[in-house]
Parts: sequence; C-alpha cells; structure tokens
Amino acid sequence: MILQTLTAGLLAFSTTPNTDDLVAIRVGKAETISNGTLEHAVIVVENGKIIAVGEDLPIERGIPIIDRPDWVATPGFVNCHSRIGMDGQNGMSFDPELKASSELYARQDLWQKVLETGETTIGIYPEGTGIPGQAVAIRPHGDSASDMIVQDSVYLKINLQSSPSSKKMVRDAFEKVDKHDEKVAKEREKWEKEQEKKKKKSKSKKDDDKKDADKEAAASDTKEDDGPDHFVAPEPDDNVVPFIALRKKELSALMSITKAADYLHLLDALSEEDIEWTLHAPLVGDRRNRQDIDLYEVADKVGEAERRVVFTSHMTLQIGTRRDRNLPAEFAAAGAQIVLLPRLDTVDAHASWIHDVGYLVASGLDRDAALAAMTLEAARGLGLEERVGSLDAGKDANIVLWNGDPFEPQTRIQAVMLEGEFVYGEVR
Amino acid sequence: MKTLNANPGAAIRALLFLAVLGAAPNQLSASPRALAQDDEASEDDADGNEKEKDADTWFAITNADVYTGTGAVLRGATILAKNGVIDEIGYDLFLPDATETLDAMGMRVYPGLVAMGATSSLSGGGLTSADADDIEHLDPHFGLDDPMRGDEIDAHVSPDHDDDESFGDYDESDSELTATIADVERIEDSFDPFGQALVLALATGITTAEQSGAAVKLKRGEIKGMVVNTDHLAGFGWSVSNPASIRKTREDFAGASQYLREHGAWDELDKDAKKETKEPSKPKNFDAAAYDVLTGKKLARFSADDREDLSGIATFAQRYGFRPVIFGCREGWTVASELGRAGAYALLTPRERSPKSELLVRAGGSSIENAAILHEHGVQVAIRPANTGFGSSMSGITGRDLLSLPVEAAFGVRGGLPEDAAIAAISLVPARLLGAADRIGTLEPGKDLDAIVTDGDLLHYETFVQWAIVSGKVVYDKQDEVYFAHIRPRPEPPQAPEPEATDDGGDDQEPAVDDAGVDEDASDDEEPTADDEATDDDDESEDDRRAA
Repeated sequence: MILQTLTAGLLAFSTTPNTDDLVAIRVGKAETISNGTLEHAVIVVENGKIIAVGEDLPIERGIPIIDRPDWVATPGFVNCHSRIGMDGQNGMSFDPELKASSELYARQDLWQKVLETGETTIGIYPEGTGIPGQAVAIRPHGDSASDMIVQDSVYLKINLQSSPSSKKMVRDAFEKVDKHDEKVAKEREKWEKEQEKKKKKSKSKKDDDKKDADKEAAASDTKEDDGPDHFVAPEPDDNVVPFIALRKKELSALMSITKAADYLHLLDALSEEDIEWTLHAPLVGDRRNRQDIDLYEVADKVGEAERRVVFTSHMTLQIGTRRDRNLPAEFAAAGAQIVLLPRLDTVDAHASWIHDVGYLVASGLDRDAALAAMTLEAARGLGLEERVGSLDAGKDANIVLWNGDPFEPQTRIQAVMLEGEFVYGEVR
Repeated sequence: MKTLNANPGAAIRALLFLAVLGAAPNQLSASPRALAQDDEASEDDADGNEKEKDADTWFAITNADVYTGTGAVLRGATILAKNGVIDEIGYDLFLPDATETLDAMGMRVYPGLVAMGATSSLSGGGLTSADADDIEHLDPHFGLDDPMRGDEIDAHVSPDHDDDESFGDYDESDSELTATIADVERIEDSFDPFGQALVLALATGITTAEQSGAAVKLKRGEIKGMVVNTDHLAGFGWSVSNPASIRKTREDFAGASQYLREHGAWDELDKDAKKETKEPSKPKNFDAAAYDVLTGKKLARFSADDREDLSGIATFAQRYGFRPVIFGCREGWTVASELGRAGAYALLTPRERSPKSELLVRAGGSSIENAAILHEHGVQVAIRPANTGFGSSMSGITGRDLLSLPVEAAFGVRGGLPEDAAIAAISLVPARLLGAADRIGTLEPGKDLDAIVTDGDLLHYETFVQWAIVSGKVVYDKQDEVYFAHIRPRPEPPQAPEPEATDDGGDDQEPAVDDAGVDEDASDDEEPTADDEATDDDDESEDDRRAA
C-alpha cells in the first residue's frame, strides 16, 4: 500500500522532473523507524522534504540519483536533551519563563562537528537546578541563532528530588496558576457586571434622548468603544505562563530525576495535575559518580504507565554489586517508551553515541526500540514527531548515510543530509 | 478458604462471615495505595465507598511460633491481619477468601524491632550514620582519657543541633520539633522507600526507626503513611558539671507546674466566678515542653550517665510525678532502686565499656549487668547499639551498629536480662518512648502487623530474618535480596505433617473448589451477590461433610 501511494506521488511530480532540488537516494537498506527496514530503498527528496520512500521505486528519468547499493540510510538522530555548544551556569533557580534559545550562539565550528555525528535535531535545555526554563529544538547549522531554531519552547525542564522543598516548588507553581485563574474569574465577573450596567445606561439614554438620537448615539457608541468590547484577561506573571501552558497541554515537561524514590515523589507532587510529561533519568550516580542507580525499582510502574523515559546510553550496576543492569532494556521490556542520549555531553561522546547504544542492544535492548530511541521517540519528546525522527514522506529530509549496519563497530557515517542539503560527506 | 476444616462450627462461622463480607470478588486486586493508607483513612473510605470496602486486604502468617511480645508464645499459630492491622491471633482461624498467606512453618514470628536514634540515614538512603560523631562518643576506647566526655553524649537524638548545643538551649531546639502535620510531611516528602539502608534495617529485623524524634515505619516502595508519631520526647538538661542546665530544668518545671496548678484551680471555678477572676496567664519564661511532660503529652528525655545526675533526675522526676527517659544511663546499675522508684525508662547499650574514673572510690563505670539490674528494679529498659548508623561500625562480633540490634539485646541477656525483657527492649519499650506503642511494639489484635519471621531465636547471632512484614505487607524476603539470598539459603519448607485423614481429604478437595470459585469470579464481570457466595459456601461445606 505504501508503494502504491508512493508511486502515485512519483507520478504526481513527474510532470516537473527537472527541478534542481529534486534528488533520489537509492541505498541497500533504509531504517525508516516508522515502517521498519526497507531493502533496496529509494528516498526521494524535494525542497528539503522527503516526498517518497519505498522499496525499488521506479525513478523518473532526469531526477538525479545518488546510488549507493552498499549503504544504509537512517533518519538524522534526534538528541532531545543536550547543552552542547552552550556555556555553563548553575545554581538553584525557579525561572520557568527563561528560554534556552536566548543563549544560542551560531558561529561555532562545533556545530559542523556535531553534524558529523549524525545528529540533525537537538533539544537544548536551560541549565540549572529547580525549574531552570524552557528548551529549544535546533538544527546544528545556520548563520544565526534564529536560523538554527526549529522550534522554541519544546519543553519545560523540571528537576525534581525527594525533598520537601523540591516538591513544594512544583506544587507552588501550579498553585500560582490556580490563583491566577481565580483572579481572572473575578475580573471577568466584574467586567460582566460593568457590561450590564453599561447596557442599562445606554438603553435608558436611548429612551430619553430619542430626538437628537443620532449624535448622542454616536457619542455613546464611541464612549463604549473606549472600554474593550470583549473581556481582556489580566496578564499572568511571566513565571506562571509556562504552567498555564502545561495545563492546557500546549507545553510538555521534562522531569529530571536521579533515583527511584524521586519517581514516587514526582507522582505525589503531580497527583492532581493532568499534564504531559516525559521522564528524564541520567544514568550516572547521584553520589560520587558511582553508577548506583536504583531506578529498576520503579521499572514496572513506569512501564505500566507507558511513560516516555529519557536515559543516557549507559549500563548501570545493581546497587552494592558489580552486576550489570541494562535499565533502558528493562524499561523498554516493561512497556516504557525509551529515549536515549549520548553518554556524555561532549562532541566525542556524541560521536560514539551509536556505539554506546549498540552495546545496550548487544546486552538485550530491542534493536528497533534502540533506533527509535535515537530518532522518533526523541522527536516525540520534543513534540516534533510530525517533522523529524523517521524516513517518511512529508518529513524533513534529515538523512544519515552509513556504509553498513549502523550498529556494527566498523561502520562509519558517509554523509549527512540536513533538510535536503548535504552538510557532510562526498556523495556526487 | 485454605484452612476450612471439618469442624461444623467453623463452617457455620465461615458462612456467617461470608454473608457479612458480602461480595468480595477479588480482594487481591486491592491497590497498594489502599494499603498505604492508615487504618482510619481506609476505614472512612470503606464506610463511604462500596468499592473501597471490597478492597479489604487480608494477610496471614500461618504455622509459626508466635512470640507476641506480651509474654505469650503461641506454637504453630496463625496471625491474621486486615488492611495491615492485626485482626486475630490464634489457632484454626478462618481465613477469608483471597487472604495472602505466608507459611512460616518451623519459623518464629516476633514483633518488628524498633530502632532508636536511626537518624536520617534511612530516609536519605545513605549507608552511614548521619552523625558520624556518634561512633566517637560511644567507642569504648575513645573516651578513656576523657572521663567527662560522657556529659556530651547528646548528639544522637537531634543531629541537627548537636555540636554547639549548650544545655540551656533546649527551648529553641524543642520549638523546632513540634509535632505537626508539617513534620509528618517533611519526613514523607524526603522518604526513600528504596534506600539500601532500609533494606539492611529490615534484614536486621527493624521495621520502625526513630528519625529525629519521629517513629517512621520502614515501608518499602511507598511514600505515604509511614510516620506513626512525631516528637514524643522532650529534651531537658541535667548535669552536675553544668549546674546551669539543672537550674534551667528546675525553673521550667516549676513554672509549668505553677501554671498548671493555678489554671487547674481556675478551671474548677463556676461560670460566674470565672468571669470575676482573671484567667491565670502563662509565666514569663513558660516552657511548653515541661508543660507537655506534666500533662502527659510527652516524655521528658535526659541524657545522663553519671550516678549523681541519674539520682538527681530520679528525685526530681518523683517530685513532679513524671517518668523520666534517660539516654545513656551508664551508671544506672549503681542507683537502680532510685530509678526504679521514679519509674524511669533507660535507653542503654549493654556492650558499652567505659571504666569509672580512677579518682573515685564509689562504684561506677559501665557494667554488662546494667540492663539486668535496672530491669530487676522496675526500670523499663530500651536497648540500642553503640552506633546508630548502618554498616558504619563492623568492629567486634557482628558489628556495633544498628545492623546488630538483636545482638546488642543478646548482650543484655549475657548480663542477666531475661529474654523477654531483652526483646521488649528492642520492640515495645522503644515504641513507648516514641509514643507509638498503641500501634507497634507487640503483636496484638488492633495493632499494626509489623512483624519479622526468623529462622531461630531472635537473640541468637546466627539467626536470619527470613521475612519482614510492615502493615501486613511483605517488605523483605531474604530469598529475593541480592545481599542475602546466597547466605545460607532458606531450606525448602518442610512438608506439613498430616495428623488426620479428615484434614487430608479437605486439603485435596479444597483447591479444586477454590479454583472453581476464582474462575467464576473472574469470568463474571458483575459482582457476585451474597446468594452466589452462600451457594458456593454450601457446596464447600457439603464437601467438607462428605470428607468427614
């Protein structure tokens, strides 16, 4: 069926085959993520978008073809939680209104190196403990910060610990929304009363002054126009806005925790809130950098809730032992949606990301889940699943070309396409 | 209904019980949340909500030798708990459908142990004592060249304000620790129900730990309902080497007692007289803690080791008619009769070793018989080890920290303390000190089912805790613990002896009936009516009769 639609698509644009932007990539294999692995895949790209993907698609004459029957195509990787290319800043803070996009600095050589790791979409988060602000999704390419931004305010970052103050911070934030809502309701009531009064006034006026109606009516009309003819709600405080958006599900939250207990406390702190959130648990020990993560204690609960969980690509240890535990695999098996991050937030670690994930796969993580964790699930974490994360018609043409199976250690990235443009690799 | 026997009386009782129970299709499906609520809350819910009523959770420990902690030992008895609270202890109990059963054949059941001074290492998940100074204070070799050092042993109760705390400052420290809902929330909001120290504590048999004055049940995997009571002990100073501390305490009690007397007299006046007379006001430096002690809301805690201090406290307490709690109490054995007359509680460490000053002629210093002598004279003895951390002091046989709480009590027995008193010293008496004895400390109907199942005498150093149960829920099973499963693995439970043919027949037939019942319930979306249950039951009792 896919094939049919695809050929239909091909026919549709076959009328204008000589567009410069149009290119077809033929590879031995394509990991579409959304539709599994395609053999002898053809990906047709036009104007920065993928317009067709299929097995052995006929390619219209005149369309330039990049023919690499030994290569494998994957979607560009999506890293939903990174500070790469950013300066550090620290401290306990409550600044939900801040945006990481304001820190963005385009003119760095680093972005090219990041592109060479296969990452084409990155969620840059604001740093700090507490609630430091909102993340921005970027493409690591562009002349200015605004060129780089794919979408701003992709999620609100919240760091939560098992402590009364941390839980209070979250509860208080939502309480502020409640207070604001109350205020709005009161204002509305007030406004409605005023409107009624005005109506009565204008009515009585009209009754009284029917004779010189025109002028007076016009005057009164203008008077009424002075006030707004619809209710204008009072502006909420800057630091309340993100939480209002959370409640309206216009914004999602990324909840960072470090241990199993935090998860229970998080659920407790959010008990009455119905918001969209992703769990984030970096798999490095909270104390003395030991890998003593006890998150396996809540794997069942998280899995049962089919929660999306962001992990770093680490193996961890059973606490107090040297026994390996593969938390991403355990959580995936329990039913959670796994998102993976590079081991560390350095270019080198980003470059070895696929290798680290490969190790997790070798130790039991489902291969498809692993690939999705680096692409489509991560895109969902950013709310960008309509644009990036898989090889599908209609999505941005972010494609990584490999000279073999990505998880094989000797495989290297041959080329990276970002929105229809090769930003790395020699292909023609 | 695993234990339905041929006794027609029991069958009838079962029938009645089921009728009362009504339809309870699958009680095992009760959410863990429901369990977490304390009994009152779930009781309320049950009244208001039919669904909640169905969610009654039953748990039973069967075939165990039950050491209730009240002096009774019931061999091969059953403990049945409803929603985490002990419903019945005895023989041939009727177990409702869907009772989760723990067969402890050949094992012993004791009340869960209560650890004093466990600090925050449990809730924080750390493995070391929150106040590392403890080990220095109580190390037998540490204080040898410093006989006065004992006076400073006070850090263990309130680690938040230890070092620079002078004895005159008790007002401040106590005002910080008033029993409020906020206090409970503070503990709940930082509780780590997966902490490794918590696992180690359960492995030792501890099911409740004191943390900064609060009695905290070691619930696992839950973050609600673990606080039983907060701040039951009010600290007062009493040290001959610091006369100001004694003066302060005397003033506090004098003021509170005067206010109490005046206010009591005013209370007894009739209405008119009340209008005329002015309500007595609180004195200028009124001490709320002393008032709470005199009115019985709190216990007065002293930290004292010296016999002068101990007898001073005993006399003082008798004068005001309250029962002092004395932490330390090293030389208590020399003034045991005075302490006994004062009805004192003592929290001590049997393995403490500190000789008296060589300058003194009188008896003094620590004694292995301290606990025994105090107990003999009517002092209620509670025991804690030298260090209240976990795994932080492994010196000596089985360590000298909370990991060896029962061993510490065993050393009390070594000094002559009766065994039941030694067990009470790590369960009931500390529960009383924390004001939680109405819910924990012994195994009695109406109290929480906080129990441990051991494979031998609790006070024997080779004994392992096989299961720990908190609020009627297994929170520790040795065979599932990565640290303990491989150490002397639990033997397969011995096959139940088959004394009578009737029981045998019943056993063979019961499961089939049970299964049928479960299937029916599962396939039936509707709640089975009482009639259904009754007919089910008829079948069963018929089976029983046939078997008979």
